[in-house]
Amino acid sequence: MGLNKRPSLLLEGVLLLFALAFLFPVVFLLEMSFKEPRYFFKPYALPHSLYFDYYRAAFRDMDFFRGLSNTVLITAGALLLTIIVASMAGYVLSRRTERLFRFAYLFFLSGMVIPGVGSLIPLFRMAVDIHLMNTRTLLVLIYTAGFIPFASFLYAAFTKSIPRELEESANLDGCGPMRLYWMIIFPLLLPATGTFIVTNVYGVWNDFLTPLIFLNNPARMTLMPQIVQFMFNKQSVNYGPVFAVSVLAVVPLIVLFAFTQKYMLRGLTAGAVKG
Amino acid sequence: MSLSRKQYWIACLFLLPAFVIFGMFFFYPFLQSIYYSFTEWNGVKTPRYVGLSNYRYLFQDVQMLDGMKNTLKMVVFGLLVQNPLALLLAVLLNKKFRTRGFLRTSFYLPVIISLVVTSVVWGEILKFDGFANGILTRIIGEANVQDWLGTVYTSFPTIILLTQWQAIGYCAVIYLAGLQAIPTDIYEAADIEGAKGIALFRHVTFPMLMPSFTIVLFLTIVGALRLFDLPFLLTNGGPGSSSYTIFLAVYNAAFKNQSYGYATAGSIVLTVFIIAVTVIQLSITRRREVEL
Repeated sequence: MGLNKRPSLLLEGVLLLFALAFLFPVVFLLEMSFKEPRYFFKPYALPHSLYFDYYRAAFRDMDFFRGLSNTVLITAGALLLTIIVASMAGYVLSRRTERLFRFAYLFFLSGMVIPGVGSLIPLFRMAVDIHLMNTRTLLVLIYTAGFIPFASFLYAAFTKSIPRELEESANLDGCGPMRLYWMIIFPLLLPATGTFIVTNVYGVWNDFLTPLIFLNNPARMTLMPQIVQFMFNKQSVNYGPVFAVSVLAVVPLIVLFAFTQKYMLRGLTAGAVKG
Repeated sequence: MSLSRKQYWIACLFLLPAFVIFGMFFFYPFLQSIYYSFTEWNGVKTPRYVGLSNYRYLFQDVQMLDGMKNTLKMVVFGLLVQNPLALLLAVLLNKKFRTRGFLRTSFYLPVIISLVVTSVVWGEILKFDGFANGILTRIIGEANVQDWLGTVYTSFPTIILLTQWQAIGYCAVIYLAGLQAIPTDIYEAADIEGAKGIALFRHVTFPMLMPSFTIVLFLTIVGALRLFDLPFLLTNGGPGSSSYTIFLAVYNAAFKNQSYGYATAGSIVLTVFIIAVTVIQLSITRRREVEL
């Protein structure tokens, strides 16, 4: 196996076949969402023309935009809140050595070890008690709490690459701690922020379990449980609108993936090593 | 107040929000879980202390037992099949194919698609009069048609295969990153020494990939232990209890039967499994990784 030799065409052909098989369900999803009902029961017949009725039905019967806006709000809220609180925590965790900070480090480390399922049931009870059940705020707080350990360690690791002299000279120039942090340190931590977003946005957007448990009000529902409900509410066998909604829910992620693909590989390994 | 004292308190303020949110919405509920797992509790009445009886019942409950069996199967499958396949895929995707970009994207795409959408599509493909059986009938005849998600023998194996479609790209990408981190001069040196093919892989690539192994093994095991969405959406544990997982059994005990005390006992058992895996993995990783 020489280093610069090109691999054989046969091998590439076999891999391409596998790749196409992997892509098939995605193509199938797209195809079914544009297929006229009379061809629907012949799954292996291609659609004859593009048929948009399912998309119309999806907007009419399910209020897609409400689900989308809930999903966007919760995803953005959780990522933003995590970025704010975890970057500040990660920064001081890597700079201070007092006992409190060493304790906080271990405290957060416990969150890397304990899985979310361990907290789920009491959280449900607590949400009712503090009147946060069925709110987007609750979801944002739960996701943020889950992200804090990973994100603050990520920020702590990146903080180490910022020279302390920078802070000292800013101090001498009379810069207050908040301004110092948000104007000087935080922008330098941008790669960590990018890594965090690129690797975690999919998890929140696609999450099904948390909204299933904590959001019962249809007005607050995110896309994933909305799709499932839409599917189960429909007594008729017509899955067309369900496919249309699924396509619509996946497209934003695919677009995002297309733009951030090259950061993904880097982000995954950075995250995984710290994880 | 001296400057250093003041700086200390400012640092505390920086730490505070993360500390409070994590403590209140993650750590404290976890401690409560431990407490509730020793009680009988329906979510409304005051929890009543029952000692270890919830834990004992876990091993008599058919759904929970089948859940444990399936979860274990999934772990074994992940270790013995998923990992070697992901590694093979990564080695192949690291070659200089003309269509390398397309290949990588195709295998990674399922990773970003949600499990809900995954189960919508695959449910439709695999249903009795669906696409898969249609193709099978045409190619190898009616005799090979199965109700893939509807029989005791096929439902869980089918779910395992679907998790492969979902997860293998993720594992492969981590191996791929590990492969790319190996400096090429090592290969050049090995080439001069005459190491080729399998020997090259065994003596050079394999040891250099160690950090990736720990990560991927960890992700596969924890992923297997947490399996919930696909069985919940595709079979709801059935038929019978043939496709239950621990997580699904815990979910049903809590949110369907309102046996919160019992369900927390199940979640604590699951937690202990996951912690054990994590601690083993962290200790291995710690020994190997250099401070970044």
